[in-house]
Amino acid sequence: MSEPAAVPVHHAPRGFVRRYIFSTDHKVIGLQYFFLALFSVLVGMLLSLAMRYHLTNPDAKVRLFEMLWPDGAAGGLMTPELYLSLMTIHGTIMVFFVLTTAPQSGFGNYFLPLQIGAEDMAFPVLNMLSFWTTFLALVVLLAAFFVEGGAPLGGWTAYPPLSAIPAAGPGQGMGMTLWIASVGLFCVASLMGAINFITTIIDLRCTGMTLARMPLTVWGWFVTAIISLLAFGVLLAAAVLLLLDRGAGTSFYVPGGLIVNDRLLDHKGGSPLLWQHLFWFFGHPEVYIAILPGMGLVSQVLSVFARKPVFGYKAMVTAMLAIAVLGFVVWGHHMFVSGMSPYSAIAFSVLTMTIGVPSAIKTFNWIGTLWGGSIRFETPLLFAAGFVSLFVAGGISGIFLGQPTLDLYLHDTYFVVAHFHMIMGVAAIFGIFAATYYWFPKMFGRSMHSALGKAHFYLTFIGVYLIFVPMHSVGLAGNPRRYPDFKEFEFLAELGGAHTFISLAAYFTAAVQLLFLANLFWSMWKGRPAAANPWEATTLEWTVASPPPHDNFGGVTPQVHQGAYEYSVPGRSRDYVMQSEP
Amino acid sequence: MTAHVPVRPFALVLGLLLVLTVAEVVLAYFHVPPAMMLTALLGLSVLKAGYIMAYFMHLKFERFGLFLLLVPATVFCILLFLGFLPDAGRGMMEGA
Amino acid sequence: MSVSKAAVLDRPWAGGTRPFAMGSKKLGMWLFIVSDTLTFATLLIVYTYLRMAAPSWPTPFHFSPGILFATVMTFVLLASSFTMVLGVRAMSEGDRKAAVRWIGATMTGGLLFIALHLTEWRSLIAEGMRPFSNPWGDPLFGATFFTITGLHMTHVAAGVLYLGVIAAGVARGRFSAEDVEVSGLYWHFVDLVWMFVFPLVYLMSVSLP
Ligand code: HEM
Ligand SMILES: [Cu+2]
Repeated sequence: MSEPAAVPVHHAPRGFVRRYIFSTDHKVIGLQYFFLALFSVLVGMLLSLAMRYHLTNPDAKVRLFEMLWPDGAAGGLMTPELYLSLMTIHGTIMVFFVLTTAPQSGFGNYFLPLQIGAEDMAFPVLNMLSFWTTFLALVVLLAAFFVEGGAPLGGWTAYPPLSAIPAAGPGQGMGMTLWIASVGLFCVASLMGAINFITTIIDLRCTGMTLARMPLTVWGWFVTAIISLLAFGVLLAAAVLLLLDRGAGTSFYVPGGLIVNDRLLDHKGGSPLLWQHLFWFFGHPEVYIAILPGMGLVSQVLSVFARKPVFGYKAMVTAMLAIAVLGFVVWGHHMFVSGMSPYSAIAFSVLTMTIGVPSAIKTFNWIGTLWGGSIRFETPLLFAAGFVSLFVAGGISGIFLGQPTLDLYLHDTYFVVAHFHMIMGVAAIFGIFAATYYWFPKMFGRSMHSALGKAHFYLTFIGVYLIFVPMHSVGLAGNPRRYPDFKEFEFLAELGGAHTFISLAAYFTAAVQLLFLANLFWSMWKGRPAAANPWEATTLEWTVASPPPHDNFGGVTPQVHQGAYEYSVPGRSRDYVMQSEP
Repeated sequence: MTAHVPVRPFALVLGLLLVLTVAEVVLAYFHVPPAMMLTALLGLSVLKAGYIMAYFMHLKFERFGLFLLLVPATVFCILLFLGFLPDAGRGMMEGA
Repeated sequence: MSVSKAAVLDRPWAGGTRPFAMGSKKLGMWLFIVSDTLTFATLLIVYTYLRMAAPSWPTPFHFSPGILFATVMTFVLLASSFTMVLGVRAMSEGDRKAAVRWIGATMTGGLLFIALHLTEWRSLIAEGMRPFSNPWGDPLFGATFFTITGLHMTHVAAGVLYLGVIAAGVARGRFSAEDVEVSGLYWHFVDLVWMFVFPLVYLMSVSLP
């Protein structure tokens, strides 16, 4: 029998390096992840602005482009290859280093131990290693811009055979190799993180923290970690094989008889479809890796600010688990046009539709949580409600795409781009914003500016709808995705206005984010000092000082006596009961 | 903490694993029809893996919850891989 | 804390206790094994997929020597699993000397396995087999063979190093019985993977209809 040892009172290490750089403190690591994601999202956003600018002004000569990419934009004119490489890095950075990193590794690391009453994660050193591996992966990815030929062209899905053949294009040489290395490293880091999260949640809950008392945030991190554990090992293997195809002359993904740049390749016998299967076997679970922590957080925030228990706690947990299971059986819906058997397509389609059920349960329960509450309209609540709105808006287009017959037409159009930006991109980002506004007082001991936060919300909310609603129409009109220049196509000529509108909305929305950055950095140093529990929330992180001491609970292991959502409890002096209150 | 752990059951399991391996090799020797052979081999391998996990890796002696956490999800994912196979042979160009 | 130990054992999920009654490292190793299982399973399904897709698949492993040789390797690995069991057992009985001896035996088994495997690789390479081509036909035969067995061999090699660190520590009075058990879990897992590689890659060296 191994009982958890008594918690000693720890002090933070003295030296700067051990304390802030190679730290094993989950709070420092959480912040490291947070800032890594913040840096990544800024890079990703700037790339997207360059792309939108190019789409609406394909002939413009931009000095800045030439300065940044002397080869890809000689004379300031962006080549199609440069456009595609910007798109690839944009997608990869956003999916992996923002949406997978911030909600799970960032906030999860910081708040998971606090919320379950633990002193740290189960494996602090592993935690540090996983951060630095992620960091290395990001460096390797960005390095792709600076090597000969530049960054790869194949998008975040890197379909072979072209991704397997260095000669296929300028970025497909060293750039593609770096991309694969980066993704491989990211897989390793994510697996380390997943092992750490699962072990921590199982082993380190403090006395009284039963599974049914865990905040839904913790459930979100838990389910996400389980998905990661099962999915990233597959992508890792797939990536290694792709690397072998490029470096060792194997042909896992390369069929015979392929002619690239007028040269017949030696490869033969492989299957590009195999990569699609492996990639999407990981890829669809990955979209839930991005969104599930947000779902947990939104449930939490809605309850806190509606001063009501979460509506249907058990249903929420069950729905998350159902989403996790169903998320593994629908990968084929990304491959409807791959020439798969129509019978498989029907099976994948039906399974895809069933995901709508747990998703709808969650949506109804979020609304049920708000229903009749005494709602406090603070910024976190606004972003959480925005998350629900975007989740519904993006989910509905998913139902369209899940029909094989419709998807034959919609696949690889801007409709898909609109779908996943709504639901994965922006909804998850709204989750991150909600988390930032909600936990900022705890992390930095100061409050963010409320009016500025609300302005940020309303303008961003309007902005993203202005970008992505017209994008659905452009897609329905048949506009293909991943094209650098539309003026070659006559039938797209009349969409020019829509594209200009989308680009303008994008510039606007990007500009609005300056409000957030200003608020964030200003508040870090100048914000109003925050109390320990400014939102009057019940979970354990609000029982300790803001920011929490190095060993979280000052050497006392907390005890939990309540569920996580005891709001508006009759017969109490306050309208909430902390989890630690008897 | 010291406890006396009997060796016998583990030695028996080792013996069994060796016997099952020999059985597999015998199948290969007699050139059983491939479909039957594959089925038999996979069956035997799963059996062997089960014994290794249950005894050598001690899973049989752990809380049942650990089994539930680890095994069903893993097996489920591996079975899902079979969904790739109908596509084997599609999208391959022949020759050259 | 007024909660009695028995009450906690009654309610293993109530918090403040480890539900599986094992150290976190052991649980962590099990979780690693899950993810690694999926990595290996991916390689094996890739192999199956490509083999099904191939018009004809090379079958160079004849009963003798190819298959018999691999059988010997299998026996070596199984035997090393058993010596590992004995090492874990010795450690749990507090007999560090015996534990070091048995772990040493296990490492020897692992090294023998690698030596045999490399011998086999060398003779295949001498016959002209490469990751990108081979004298018998479909080039993916070599690709899948070297990738699967190569990754497995890497795991064996890593395991030998891991056990070396453990054995050295145990000899100097470091590491608990559970630490040794955790290293054992890894070793048995590597053995377990081979239980699928051996039949699928070697024994199925028959032409499919
Ligand atoms: C009811 C729920 C959903 C359904 C029915 C659905 C359906 C689909 C389908 C059929 C596609 C493939 C379209 C094509 O390529 O032609 C797709 C693409 C995509 N979906 Fe969803 N989806 C749903 C929810 C989600 C969620 C929750 C996320 C992320 C959080 C997400 C992220 C994505 C992404 C990233 C892509 C595009 C991948 C790419 O090709 O680059 N989807 N969706
Ligand atoms: Cu999907």
